[in-house]
Amino acid sequence: MLKINDLHVRTGEAEILHGLSLDVNPGEVHAIMGPNGSGKSTLAQAIAGHEDYDVTSGSIEYDGNDISELDPEERAREGIFLGFQYPVEIPGVNNAYLLKAALNAKRKHEGLDEIDAFEFLKLAKEKMALLGMDPKFLNRGVNEGFSGGEKKRNEILQMAVLEPRLAILDETDSGLDIDALKAVAEGVNALRAPDRAIVLVTHYQRLLDYIEPDVVHVLSGGRIIHSGDKSLATELEDRGYDWVVEQAKSA
Amino acid sequence: MNAVDVDKLRAHSESLPGDTLAALRRDAVESFAGTGLPSTRLEDWKYTDLAPVSALSDAWLDSPGESAPSAEADALIGKLRDAGDVTWLVIRNGNVDANIADESGAVSLRRLSDATPGSDFDTPLSALNAALLKDGLVIDVDGTPERPLGLLFVDDAETHEGLAQARVEIRLAEHASAELIEYYASFGDRGHYANAILTLDVAAGGVARHVRIQDRGREHSLTQKLAVTLGRDARFESASFDFGGRLTRNDLLVDLPERGAHAEFNGLYLAGDGQHVDNHTKVDHRVGPAVSRQEYRGILFGRARAVWNGKALVYEGADGTDAEQSNHNLLLSENAEIDTKPELEIYAEDVRCSHGTTVGQLDERALFYLRSRGLDADAARRLLVQAFAAQTVDSVPVEAIKDELRELLEARLNRIKDIPISQ
Repeated sequence: MLKINDLHVRTGEAEILHGLSLDVNPGEVHAIMGPNGSGKSTLAQAIAGHEDYDVTSGSIEYDGNDISELDPEERAREGIFLGFQYPVEIPGVNNAYLLKAALNAKRKHEGLDEIDAFEFLKLAKEKMALLGMDPKFLNRGVNEGFSGGEKKRNEILQMAVLEPRLAILDETDSGLDIDALKAVAEGVNALRAPDRAIVLVTHYQRLLDYIEPDVVHVLSGGRIIHSGDKSLATELEDRGYDWVVEQAKSA
Repeated sequence: MNAVDVDKLRAHSESLPGDTLAALRRDAVESFAGTGLPSTRLEDWKYTDLAPVSALSDAWLDSPGESAPSAEADALIGKLRDAGDVTWLVIRNGNVDANIADESGAVSLRRLSDATPGSDFDTPLSALNAALLKDGLVIDVDGTPERPLGLLFVDDAETHEGLAQARVEIRLAEHASAELIEYYASFGDRGHYANAILTLDVAAGGVARHVRIQDRGREHSLTQKLAVTLGRDARFESASFDFGGRLTRNDLLVDLPERGAHAEFNGLYLAGDGQHVDNHTKVDHRVGPAVSRQEYRGILFGRARAVWNGKALVYEGADGTDAEQSNHNLLLSENAEIDTKPELEIYAEDVRCSHGTTVGQLDERALFYLRSRGLDADAARRLLVQAFAAQTVDSVPVEAIKDELRELLEARLNRIKDIPISQ
């Protein structure tokens, strides 16, 4: 579903990713772990199509097509979702309005009619209940005055409503208390499906106690330097990253 | 620079009908003769050049006259009246309509020519206004009117250039509560200049909720002044909107001579190619405690030029003053220009005063966020511009005009052809 091949990404003057390769199949959950500054967020932003991140060589294939030249909105409509590490506050744009506009942009792209107001409200409330979110958040400005945990739940709400086929969640666990973490994990787990893939970008193993990954990768120095099954996450938690980095150097 | 010829002004002023206003006009002509129109050498007029106003006024005095009514003006009057939730008083080309149907009995209305007009020409524009005034309105409110009171200043400039003066004095009695709307519109391809002078006195415990909408023709000029005085524990809540016009200058003066007064006023101005909009506000905090808050927002595109100058003057001994002012500007083109200046002058000890101004472009992070949710770039930009404006619309204290205002805002935002990604 997602096939990244020898990807080099530059932002500003600096190259951050130096030949990263990654294969994600439908139905899989991948965790990408790594020390701070290793390029995790750059990878997430590059997949979503942020213009500040320049793909200088290599490719990002989604469903067999290279998407590295597509606008972010085109990628979104094709079913790629980025859960932001720092969701943006947009005062004056109603949360419900954005959710509905996003859903309708995708539906239009798929040749479907716009969802009617009643159906939309029903859907949004159903997803909010699942995430333990108060429906009054629908009428607030997007992320406006939300706590850290509320912002992350709001990201998961958008994901739940949009039902992407590929979800990239960038540090979705950071700054969450245990209740919020469980709610977010529940939201992600509810989305697990044979035709859908999820990539969790995370610094800590904590989230993986609640969302069990199929594959764990270590990203360091702009490359994936090691991959393994879920036991790798526990090992990284116990031993840190240094041993993997050393191992990769000597290999 | 060309000036308004005083002899022509005097001649026209003396030709106007209505004996009771003759003395007022005469005094006004002489007052104006001593000053002429304000020039850009004056600090308050540094960025706004009234040369086009001066030229038009002088030319009009050579052949005074009134345009035939335009169908668009008729349509606007009809549309607003049909909506039925506001009592509209129409002042068309400076001609006063003093008939209203307000069954609450809370509103009484007189022509200025039937009242005893004072000779208050504190500014040259006020003197020009009185010199050429056909008639004005005095509105007294005691109690609570059943509907908001709307003043529709509508001008025609289809078959003749126009020069229109409007003067309205509004007084709210103790504990009276009124919703007031000022709506300025003009139509036609000929030149037009309107000059409106308003006063609003709110007695102790009174509440005035006010909205000003300016949507004049793109080639027309307006100078407007509203002077508000609040009594003890009185309130003034206001939101003002500038959408149209070629040259617009608004002065909002808020005088707080009594304790416990509360003034809260916001503004939004939208300007594009060839438009110049200038908002000057001044709050006189004479005693404390009293509160004033203002937030003006500007959306500028094309070769727009805007000015905001907010002044708060806190007098000696006005302890307990709480004054806040801010001005935020969204510049959507590198050719647009804003001159923004907050001014706090504080002579009291125990006060809470703050000001802030910002000038910026659309938030790139917010744009990417919206696009990553599937909104195309143009839609995302428009949504952010709309959101910037929505915050002022939300603050409108007169519910009955909100829908009309939202519609107008959307139509005027759609005039923005192209919003660049960044500069």
